[in-house]
Amino acid sequence: MFKFFAQSNVYFFIEKIIKFINSIFFLILIIGLTFSLILSPPDFLQGDSVRIMYVHVPSAWIGLACFSFIAILSIFNFIFKIKNFYFINKSLAPIGLLFTCLAIVTGSLWGKPTWGTWWAWDARLTSMVVLMFFYFFFLLTIKFITNQQLANKVSSIIAIVGSINLPIIKYSVEWWSTLHQPASIKISGSSTIHSSMLLPLLAMLLVFLLYCALIFLMKYKTEIIRIKKKTLKKYD
Amino acid sequence: MIENLIHMNGYGLFVWLSFGLVLVSCSLVYLKAKKTLNKYEKEYLAELKTLSENEKNEVLTNSKVAQQVLATNSKAN
Repeated sequence: MFKFFAQSNVYFFIEKIIKFINSIFFLILIIGLTFSLILSPPDFLQGDSVRIMYVHVPSAWIGLACFSFIAILSIFNFIFKIKNFYFINKSLAPIGLLFTCLAIVTGSLWGKPTWGTWWAWDARLTSMVVLMFFYFFFLLTIKFITNQQLANKVSSIIAIVGSINLPIIKYSVEWWSTLHQPASIKISGSSTIHSSMLLPLLAMLLVFLLYCALIFLMKYKTEIIRIKKKTLKKYD
Repeated sequence: MIENLIHMNGYGLFVWLSFGLVLVSCSLVYLKAKKTLNKYEKEYLAELKTLSENEKNEVLTNSKVAQQVLATNSKAN
């Protein structure tokens, strides 16, 4: 099963997927921006500031999803010792960090007109900052520990420990009294968001996901070349 | 209509700053990733060229990645 993830098998398809994403990306970006900035209605309470949701929510989802994925692969890496998972994690972490930071900053920009403050140390915001620090530690480990095996082990431990924070982020708005509103979109149960706002949100989510896939594939491709470059050294 | 789009009933600064920030940071990360990828591809190709003909053939036979990098670079040139 894990042979599917072999670098030589995957590399062949990366170029094609990158080209495909490049060909559709701008069209979907324009559709997403048109819906979120022009066509979607203002909120009856928050007015036009609600449009920040279209970049804030997908950023937060992707930040969380990337870390969940990294944590799961880290557990598999511990059990099955698959080196490739380390490279996948290494390529995913910067994307997760970028979107976690964007979620925090855009959240702050949304907070000022809505709550009257840029920042509050409430449970949801604080747990997102904790997630950002876990991403930082994860990336610092990979960057500064030169022994790859050790870096793999330490970064996996950071990811697994950091995964404890994920349910805290998710349920913080239910467990504690927070400024942050509860989730409007639920996987199980009915969502409280109107379809005129849900559609632009999903369009922007698709844009962000395509962007993530593009960056991930470019970074993963770089990792593969870096490894193959090392194998050339035996001819020196 | 355009004035409405810019001002957004007083929320324009926050909305445009959010979208602008996302756009700028995503573009920077994209450019950085592309630059690093190009750099590694060029370095790999340069190292491949320093090998003798026999070694090069051996690498190209055994490595799909080497074939792909060479093919992509040939197309780009």
